[in-house]
Amino acid sequence: MNYNELIDRLSEQTGNTKTGSKKMLQNAITVLSDQLESGNGVSIPDLGTFSTRITPERKVYNPHYDAEMMVPKKRIVEFTPATGLKDEVKYLGKKDE
Amino acid sequence: MSEKITFKELVELIAKQSEQSQSSANSFISELVEIIEAGLKTDGQVSISGFGKFELRWMNERSGTNPQTGEQITIPGQNKVVFKPYKALREGVNAPYADLESKIIDKENNLDRKKSKEIFTTPVKKSGSQESLDDLLIERDNPYSGNKDRVIDKQEPEPVANVASAKRPNPAIVKEVRDKGTFNWSFAAAGIIALLAFLLLFYMVQRDPESADPQITDSIESPVTAESETDREMETGTPPPPPAEPPVDEIDDSQSDIETENYEILPGQSLWTIAEAELGNPYLWPFIYYLNSDIIDNPNAIPLATNLQIPIISNPDNLSELERDQVARGYLALYHWNRDNNPDQARYFLWAVGVFSTDLLENLPSDVDAEDLAFALSR
Repeated sequence: MNYNELIDRLSEQTGNTKTGSKKMLQNAITVLSDQLESGNGVSIPDLGTFSTRITPERKVYNPHYDAEMMVPKKRIVEFTPATGLKDEVKYLGKKDE
Repeated sequence: MSEKITFKELVELIAKQSEQSQSSANSFISELVEIIEAGLKTDGQVSISGFGKFELRWMNERSGTNPQTGEQITIPGQNKVVFKPYKALREGVNAPYADLESKIIDKENNLDRKKSKEIFTTPVKKSGSQESLDDLLIERDNPYSGNKDRVIDKQEPEPVANVASAKRPNPAIVKEVRDKGTFNWSFAAAGIIALLAFLLLFYMVQRDPESADPQITDSIESPVTAESETDREMETGTPPPPPAEPPVDEIDDSQSDIETENYEILPGQSLWTIAEAELGNPYLWPFIYYLNSDIIDNPNAIPLATNLQIPIISNPDNLSELERDQVARGYLALYHWNRDNNPDQARYFLWAVGVFSTDLLENLPSDVDAEDLAFALSR
């Protein structure tokens, strides 16, 4: 499902216009992103928990230069799906995209 | 930092951001969640522009152990929900560490460095000694390929710059390496430094053509042309070996044999431009310098309205022995001047001495730097 389909579905379900739904979605995303960027975790019922985590610096091997490289530490987004969602999709079978 | 906000707080924030009631924000979120779930079920993925993508990833069947009983079990294949943040979110979240870059670990890098050093040191060593510029060129072309013309320009004028860049430690070779490869990067650095040196030189030329031009033309112009010009001059000159030059102490007498005229230097003129206009060949400017060495102190800065003695040269393409000797002596004088004031460039003047009079170069007084002499003789 792509972004447009998502907005179509949203406007269908909420009875809003597409532009209204889109705006609403964008606002929600802005708030979520802001929270994540300031390092806060956000948990959304039935969907899951977004949080950030710092991956420590690590060594990797870069075959192109035949050398080990040090990848610096990074802060990344983590998502843990809610149990309900996890179980819903668990045994759907393999999906080919 | 690293706290968790509750769902209630989130709804409040979204309501505030979108200027809607909390209840509508709340219901919006639950609709959204429902749709995401439905989308995952039907398509296996839901993409939210500007945020990220939820998708199902199939985990193959694998074996594992029950941590409580220790018995071997088979974990059946199943779907997993993964969230892949898009670039904007990734970068926003990583903003505090955005300036950190991947580095090649020094120890592992030795090999690459050695490689690049080898390529560098061979020509560098030679540029210090007597290898000809042509040899340098041939050796340096290799790493560049495809870029020859520029390389010639950049490398030739300032072998010194290359020495510097080659010696420069490669402290931590940074992420840029990823695009170019380690030693390409160091070459690029050398190229940039050489280019800067070249630009600086060029700038000097613009300001003081009389000082910088000869070395530039001698060195910057691809040596092929410089050489062919020299050859041409040599050939059109006097084919039989030149007779013995007048000894040094007789110069003053021989100088009187040269016809001269008075010339008042005008604003914006240099010895180079005067030589070009009056003598027909700008490379002969040291001749003027030589004739006026008692008046001119700094060839790059001649006081206005100085009255110069300009030699009258009948045919600049076919200089007489005496004229060639005078030009060569001019270059020699400039070599000494540059030894004191511009040591990096001095050897080019010495080399030019040999262009105009090989005899003079071979019978130089002993106060010439041995290395410079070797450089000049190698031509």
